Amino acid sequence: MSLSPVPPRLRQPNWRRRLLPILFQAAIGLLVLGAIALVLSNLQVNLIRRGLGLSFDWLGRPARFPLAQGFLPYKTADSYAWAFVVGFVNSLQVVVVGLVLSTILGVLAGAASFSGNWLLRQLANVYVAVARNIPPLLHLLFWYFVVFTTLPGVRGHVNALAAWLRLPISVEFMALLVGLTVYTGAYIAEVVRGGINSVPRGQWEAARSLGLNEGRTLRLVVLPQALRAILPGLNSQYINLAKNSTLAIAVGYSDIFSIVNTTFTQTGRSIEAFVILLLGFLVLDLLISGGMNLLNQVVLRRG
Amino acid sequence: MAESSRSRRHRLLLTLRRNLFASPLDGLITLVLLAVCGSGLWFLMHWALIKADWAVVYENVCLYFNGIFPADHVWRSWSWLAVLAALCGLTLWPWPLPRPLMRLLPLLWILSLPIGLVLLASGLGLEPVRSRFWGGLQLTLLLTLGTIALALPLGILLALGRRSSLPLLRWLCTSYIELIRGVPLIAVLFFGQLMIPLFLPEGWTFSRVLRAVLSLGFFVAAYMAEDVRGGLQALPRTQLEAARSLGLSPLKTITLVELPQALRIALPALANQCVASVQNTSLLAYLGLIELLGISRSILANPSYLGRHLEVYLWLALLYWAVCILMTSLARRLERTLNVTGHH
Repeated sequence: MSLSPVPPRLRQPNWRRRLLPILFQAAIGLLVLGAIALVLSNLQVNLIRRGLGLSFDWLGRPARFPLAQGFLPYKTADSYAWAFVVGFVNSLQVVVVGLVLSTILGVLAGAASFSGNWLLRQLANVYVAVARNIPPLLHLLFWYFVVFTTLPGVRGHVNALAAWLRLPISVEFMALLVGLTVYTGAYIAEVVRGGINSVPRGQWEAARSLGLNEGRTLRLVVLPQALRAILPGLNSQYINLAKNSTLAIAVGYSDIFSIVNTTFTQTGRSIEAFVILLLGFLVLDLLISGGMNLLNQVVLRRG
Repeated sequence: MAESSRSRRHRLLLTLRRNLFASPLDGLITLVLLAVCGSGLWFLMHWALIKADWAVVYENVCLYFNGIFPADHVWRSWSWLAVLAALCGLTLWPWPLPRPLMRLLPLLWILSLPIGLVLLASGLGLEPVRSRFWGGLQLTLLLTLGTIALALPLGILLALGRRSSLPLLRWLCTSYIELIRGVPLIAVLFFGQLMIPLFLPEGWTFSRVLRAVLSLGFFVAAYMAEDVRGGLQALPRTQLEAARSLGLSPLKTITLVELPQALRIALPALANQCVASVQNTSLLAYLGLIELLGISRSILANPSYLGRHLEVYLWLALLYWAVCILMTSLARRLERTLNVTGHH
C-alpha cells in the first residue's frame, strides 16, 4: 500500500496516525520473532531427541562416497567440505556451458521466428510451444534414458569427445547439459522475440531501404537495439537455468544438490547441509547477476 | 474459368516462392529443413507404428490417471477428474452459456478443490482413503490446485507488504521473496519433505501431500508476489489519487481500486506461474510421491516393460502438454471475459 504523501495542511495532528503504524509493526515483529522462537525451540527438542546437535565439525571428516571424475581431483578419503567444493565446481561447469549453448539456441530460435521463410518460422514456433510446456525433468529423463543411454554408440561418441577435448565429459553431464539447453533455449527464444518486437518497425524498413538483406538487418540493426530489452530477461533465465541444474539428481550427475542429498542420507545433518546448499546458490546467483550487470553496463555504454 | 484457375495457380506459386524460396540461401534452408523434418517425421512414424510397443501405456491407463487408488473406490478419483474436465469444458465453451451458469462458474472453480478433497479423502459418508494411495494425474492436479489456492492469496499479501510504507513489513516481505527466489525448487521441496517434521512440535505430523503443497505453495507465492507487484506498479498514479479524493480508506483503496486492476494486468504472468506449478509437481517424484511422473517411474521399473522409456515419456509429454495448454487457454478466456465486463 504505497501511500502517496498527503499535503501537510490536510494531515490531521492526530496521535493515532503516528502511533498506529508503530504499534502495528511492533505486533508484526513480535509475531515473526515468536514464530521463529517457537520453530527453533521445536527444532532443538527434535534434534536433541535424535542425538544431533547443530555443528559443522563433521565437515572435516572423510566423505567416503565415490564421485565420478570431475574437474577437481577427488578421493573417497577426502573430507565432506572438499566434496561440496567438487560438487559446486561440477554445478558451475554445467551452468556455464549451458548458459552459452542455450543463449545460442535461444537467439537462433528467437530470430528464426521473424524469418521470411515460412517453414523456419513455423519450426521455431513449434519448438518453443512444445519445449516450454513439458516439465524440465521430463526433458532430462528423455535425453538421459532415451538418447544417451539407450541409443547404440552414443556413449562411445561421448567418451571419444571427452578424450579429444581432455575434459571430464560424461554421459550424465551431456544429458543434463542438452536437456537444460533445450528447455532454457525455448524460454530465451521468447525473451529474444519480445526484445526484437520492442524494436520499432521503422528500423526494419529503414535497413531494408538501405539495401541490407534480412540476415544483416537482424544482425546489424535490430539485434543490437533489442539487446537492451533482452538482457534483463536473460538474467532471470540464466538464474532459472542455474536453479534447474539441481535436477541433475534425476540423471545421476554429481552437482552440489546431489552431494548435499548424499551427505544428508549419510550423516542425517539436514539443517547444516541445507545451509551449505543455500550459500552455494547465493554465490552462484551473485556470480550470474554480477556478470550480467557488467554486460548490461557495457551494452548501455556502447548503445 | 481456365484463366482464373491458372492465375490462382500462379498466385499460389508466387506465395510459395515468396515464403520459401525468396533467395538462393532461403531455398537452401527450406530444402535442408524439409529433408531434416521429413526424415525425422518418417523415423518417428516408423518407430511409433511399427517398433514401439504401446502396451506400457494402454495397459496402465488407470494407473496414470489415478495412481494406486483402491480399486473399489477408483470411481471417486475418476469422477473428480470428470468434474475438472466438465469445468474446463464449460469455461472454454465457445457459444454463449445461460447467464446463471456463467455467474456460477467462478464459485464452481473455487469449490473444485474441496470437492476433490471430499471425493479423494473421505467425507459425506464415503470411506476414508489414506493420502499415500493418491497418485497419477489426479495427484498432480490436486497438488497444482492446492498450490495455486495457497500461493495466490499469499503472493498478493507479500506483494502488498513489499510496497507497504511500513519499513519492517516491507523489509520482511522483500527478504522472504528474494530468499525464496534465489533457491532451487528441489531444495525447497527437500526441505519440506525431510525438514518440516523437525520444526513441528512433538506429536504433530503432516502427510507427505500436505507437506508438498505447503512447500510448493510457499515457493510459488514468492514468484506470484513479483507478478502482482508488477501489476500494481503498472497502475497509473491517478487511480490512487481518484480513490483518495473519493474519500476511500487505504484498505478500501487497495481492495476496491488497486488490486482488481493490478490482478487483471498481472493475469498472463500469473497464468505462466500456474503452468510452471504443474511442471513443478513432477519434482515430487523424487521425494516419495507417486504423482504422474512418480507412477511412471514405478511402471518403468516393472521388468515386463523393460526399456520402454520413449513410449512412456512421449505419453507423459502429451499429458503434461495438454494440461499446460488447457491452463493457458483457461487464463486467456478469463482475460477476455474480464476485459469485456471490466472497465470501459
